[in-house]
Amino acid sequence: MATGDVVLSRRGPSRPAGRQLLEQVERQEARRARRERRTTLLGRLAFAAVFFLGWELSSGRIVDQFFVSKPSAIAASLWAMATKEMLFYHLQFTIIEATVGYLIGAVAGLIVGFALARVEVVYRIVEPFVVGFYGIPRIALAPLFILWFGIGITSKIAVAAVMVFFIVFINTIAGVRSAPPQLLQVARVMGASEWDLVRKVIFPAATPFIIAALQITVPQAMIGAIVGEFISSNRGVGHLISRAAGWLDTPGLFAGIFTLLVVVLVMNLGINSLGAHLMRWNPKHGSMRDAP
Amino acid sequence: MRTKVVLHDPAPVVPMRCTVTAAAGVIEARDVVKVFVARSERRRRRAFLALHDVNLAIQQGRFVSFVGPSGCGKSTLLNMVAGLIRPTEGAVHYKGRAVDGINTDVGYITQDDNLLPWRTLLENVEVALEFRRVGPEERRDRAHRYIGRVGLDGFEHHYPHELSGGMRKRVALIRTLIYEPDVILMDEPFGPLDAQTRVILQDELLRLWEGTGKTIVFVTHDLVEAIALSDEIVLFSRAPGTIKHVYPVPLPRPRDVFRIHADPQFPAFYERLWRDLKEEISTVDLEGAVHGNR
Repeated sequence: MATGDVVLSRRGPSRPAGRQLLEQVERQEARRARRERRTTLLGRLAFAAVFFLGWELSSGRIVDQFFVSKPSAIAASLWAMATKEMLFYHLQFTIIEATVGYLIGAVAGLIVGFALARVEVVYRIVEPFVVGFYGIPRIALAPLFILWFGIGITSKIAVAAVMVFFIVFINTIAGVRSAPPQLLQVARVMGASEWDLVRKVIFPAATPFIIAALQITVPQAMIGAIVGEFISSNRGVGHLISRAAGWLDTPGLFAGIFTLLVVVLVMNLGINSLGAHLMRWNPKHGSMRDAP
Repeated sequence: MRTKVVLHDPAPVVPMRCTVTAAAGVIEARDVVKVFVARSERRRRRAFLALHDVNLAIQQGRFVSFVGPSGCGKSTLLNMVAGLIRPTEGAVHYKGRAVDGINTDVGYITQDDNLLPWRTLLENVEVALEFRRVGPEERRDRAHRYIGRVGLDGFEHHYPHELSGGMRKRVALIRTLIYEPDVILMDEPFGPLDAQTRVILQDELLRLWEGTGKTIVFVTHDLVEAIALSDEIVLFSRAPGTIKHVYPVPLPRPRDVFRIHADPQFPAFYERLWRDLKEEISTVDLEGAVHGNR
């Protein structure tokens, strides 16, 4: 339920006077919500303006411009990258690596997590190993993958996939195990088959965990792809950044970072709206509020 | 181990299977024994006897309540009828056959409403019919009929968290009634509700049940509730649970649960029940009972 949607309004007909009051409160509430949204938006714009302006003005005066560059120089560098250095060509590889890695990691994490959590014996046996693998700093696997898969796109996809896999995997297990045993019993007595249980009880019960994992891992996939590109590559935004660093080109470095930031923001937006849709039943996503 | 049944009633001793008449019961417990294993600290396992030598027959169409001190095994026996727990010895028979595995023929309502939080009220009411492969149109039809009967129309598209405790309980009730099980098992269904909602729901339950010919087995701690609703009350002893006595409830039907105290038969019957129950409750539990124990 969207914010500001007063549940009272669906309580059906009531006395005419009471109805009027309800409508009045609803209008007030809608106005209040609009005001709130506007304040938030304006606040954000102001914050960004202050941040960039402060950066622009302090750069070269308070801090050496070599280290922090400045927004105008970064914008110029971004423009130059876009027009002369084939930024979008490089970006395309990074996005493909991160996205494909993300999908592979997420799907594999879901399937393996589900399978493991549903079979108690297997879970008991492999649990310590899973925890052990989980403890490996996954970035440390990047050089190994480059050794295995070469310096092309595959090794970066592998790094991104591994970054995503474990988090989705661990969360899926936790989610599946979070389905209340009594709910499962009640469903069984109501006539649910094993497949019904998985589809209609266990999977929905696990969604909060899975959604959380899918959200956390979006930047992780990007980290995987970029780190892979840092280590060894001739394409991708990671390659651009490490090249700019080699040339001591601070504006170019920042331009690369900003590009990544925008990409991750857009990906997050997508995954968050998917999450909000799937989680619309959750009390945290809509509730009754006190009328002022 | 106490196996002997002690009766404290001057009335003629009723045999344990007093509810068994000529016909066999729809539910029969035969020499049921249940041993649970508790895993205590230091990985030591301790077995304890939860039910001992339970024999009981429940007739079709009766409203039967189980009462007894906490931990006496009344829920355990209920779960055996549903096939969720197996007896260690003996057997629970349902319609003449030993229950072996989940008994999908019965309805099962628990203390928690156990609704699916990701489904709307309507979808929750329909879920059992989905499991039973009833077509979507008939599902919707039947769901709307039952929703109307408990006055929940207008709330079909609300999620459980948007409903009050009493409304959620009504949903739990009708999502079970909707597939028309012959036997409905209820494990302290109204336990978590406030006193008013409780009585209102008791009244609704009676009106939904009367004349349907369905059997209800109802576990409760509340003697007044047991008296107000049941045809028979089964009193369990403290653990290891045995059946101490079965009381036919002398109050006539239809009953007014709101004024059940006003029934002339009520005080004496309540007194008798309470006296027998009290002997089974330790002083610690008695204090708990005052504060609405679970």
